[in-house]
Amino acid sequence: MGTIIIIAVYVVYAAFWIRFFLHTLAWWRGRAEDMVAVLPKRPPLLKTWALTLRDVVLFWRLLKVNPALWFGEYLFHSTFLLVVLRHLRYFLDPVPPWVWDLQLSGLIAGYVLPFSLVYILAVRFFSEREKYSSPANVLLLALIIAISSIGVLMHAFFKPNLVDVKYFALGLLSLAPAPLPTGVLFPLHLALVLVLVALVPSHIVTAPLVMLEARRRELGLPQVMHEK
Amino acid sequence: MLELDACTQCGECLKHCPVQDVTGNPLVSPPEKIRMFREFIRKTDGLKAKLFGSTDVDRKLLDDFTKAVYECTTCGACGQNCPVGIFTQRLWPTLRKEMVKRGLGPIGVQANLPQVVKNSGNPYDKPAADRYRPWFPEHVAVAAKADIAYYAGCTGAYEAQPMVRGDALVLGAIGEPFTMLPPEEEVCCGFPLFITGQHDLLKDLVDRLVEGYRSRGVKTLVCSCPCCVNIMSRDWPALYGRELPFTIRHITQYVSLALREGRLKIAKELKESVIYHDPCYLSRGVGVIEEPREVLRSIPGVTVLEFERHGLNSRCCGSGGAARKVYHENAIKMGRQTIDEAVAKKADRLILSCPACYAKVNEAMQGHDRQIRITDIMELVSGLI
Repeated sequence: MGTIIIIAVYVVYAAFWIRFFLHTLAWWRGRAEDMVAVLPKRPPLLKTWALTLRDVVLFWRLLKVNPALWFGEYLFHSTFLLVVLRHLRYFLDPVPPWVWDLQLSGLIAGYVLPFSLVYILAVRFFSEREKYSSPANVLLLALIIAISSIGVLMHAFFKPNLVDVKYFALGLLSLAPAPLPTGVLFPLHLALVLVLVALVPSHIVTAPLVMLEARRRELGLPQVMHEK
Repeated sequence: MLELDACTQCGECLKHCPVQDVTGNPLVSPPEKIRMFREFIRKTDGLKAKLFGSTDVDRKLLDDFTKAVYECTTCGACGQNCPVGIFTQRLWPTLRKEMVKRGLGPIGVQANLPQVVKNSGNPYDKPAADRYRPWFPEHVAVAAKADIAYYAGCTGAYEAQPMVRGDALVLGAIGEPFTMLPPEEEVCCGFPLFITGQHDLLKDLVDRLVEGYRSRGVKTLVCSCPCCVNIMSRDWPALYGRELPFTIRHITQYVSLALREGRLKIAKELKESVIYHDPCYLSRGVGVIEEPREVLRSIPGVTVLEFERHGLNSRCCGSGGAARKVYHENAIKMGRQTIDEAVAKKADRLILSCPACYAKVNEAMQGHDRQIRITDIMELVSGLI
C-alpha cells in the first residue's frame, strides 16, 4: 500500500508539471493565432495592475455579481490557502518562523474550510437564482470537503504520528521515501489530495492572467472610439 | 486559448444570457460551450490524440456544441458579468472561426454568406443598384471627395431604410460636405463573415473599402451600424495591415459633437418619454454609451428613460451574432422582451440605433400583444430639425 501511494505521489507530481507545460505551450501557440482584434492604447500600467490585484486578491468581480457566492468562495479560498501554508511545516526543515506563526490561524481555517464548502454547495443548489452547476465543480467541492473533513478528524480524534508524517514528507522531497505512517485516515487523506492535484483546474493559473487582460480591455474601451 | 482554461464554470453568466432567458436550456450556455470545446480539442488535438491518433468525438456532443455556439447572439453580456472577465463577445466568434476550420460550422443559410457577398457585395444578395436609390433623400448632396464619409452598411441600406434615410438627412442638415462610395463599391464591411467564423474574404473586402475612402481623401468615416463600427475600429487595422488613414465614428458621436458645437440645432419640441436600447456591439463592443443619450436629451421636451439593463450591461434584443438567420424564434422572443420592458416602463417610443435591432424588433412587434412606436435615433432627429 505504502509503495503504491509513494509511486502515485511521483506520478501525479510529474503529470501535473507535464500538464502545466503542455497547457503553457498551447496558450503560447494560441496567442499567436488569436483573434485579429486591435487593442486600444495600453491604459495606465499602475491603475491596471492595482485593479487586477484587487480582482485577484478580493475576487472583486465575483463580489459585484454574486455577493452570497462571493462570501463562500472567499472563505473557501482564504482558508484553503491558510491550510496549505500550515502544512508547509511537514515539508520544511527547519520550519521558518512565519510558518510557525501561521499555525493557529491555519488550524482555525482547517475547521472553517469544510463549512465554507458546504455553504457554497448550499448556495448553488438551493438559491433560485442559480441556474447551473458544473458537475466537475461539484466533484471538486465534494473532494475538498472529504479531504478537509478527514484533516479535521485527524486533528481532533485520530491523530497520526506527526514525526512519522514529517519523515514521510521530507523523504518524498529528498527522493528517499520513508515508510507511510500507519493508520487509515492519513493514507486516505493523501490519496484524495493526489486525486485533487490530478483534477486541479487550470483556471488557478489562467484566471489571474485573463483578469489582467480584462482590466486592460475595460480601461482601454473608452479609447476604441474616442481616441482623438 | 487562455480564456478557455480560465473559465471556472461558475455559471454566473447564465443569469445574463438572453438565449437562456428564452430557451431555458443550460446546455446552450457559456460554460457548457467552453466545456464542450475543451473536450473536443482534447479528443482531436490533445496529447493522447497526437500520440495515438484522435478518437471519435461523440456525435451528440458535436451537435450540442455546434448548436450552442451558433445559437448564441454573441452579445457579450456573459463576459460583462464574468467573475474572471473573459471577453466572450470576442471568444464566441473565435470559437466559430475554429469550428469553420474544423468543418463544424457555419450552419444553415450562414454557409452561403461568402458566395453571396462575393457575388453581390452584400449578405442579402440584393443588387448594388438598389443600395441607395430607394431611401437616399434627393436633396442631400454627396461630394466626390470630402474629409467626412458616410458608410450606410448593408443592413441599413436593405433592411432598415428609415434609419439610413435619417442618417443622410441629419448629415445633410449639419452641412459639412460628406462623400460616399458608389453603391457597387460600398461592399459588406465583413462583419457577417467575421461573426460566422468565415474569414477568407475579409482582407479583400477591407482593402477595397479602405482604399476607396483613402482615394477620396476621407479623414473621418461615419457609420450608424454598431456591427460595422465594431469591426471597422477593432479589426480593420489588423486586416488592412496598418493604421487606417481615417478615424471611425458612430453617427451618434458625430451628431452629438455637431449639437454641442452648434452646427446642428433641433428646432421642434417632442413631449414624449423615450427609452433607449443600447446595441451590444456599440456599448459593450466599442464603449459608445453617452453620445446617443446626449443626442436624445438635446431634443426639447424629451424625457429619456432607461432599461433595467443598460449601458455596458444592456440586454440583447435578439438580432445579434447572425443567430437570427437560423434561430428566428429565439430572436423574436428576445425582441418581445425588449418591447415588453419598454411598454412596462411607460415609454412612448422605443429608440434604437442599430439596423439589425431595428429590423428584428420591428418584426418581433408584428402580432405581439404589446405595441410601442419604434424609431431609430437619427430617424427621430431628422424629423425634428
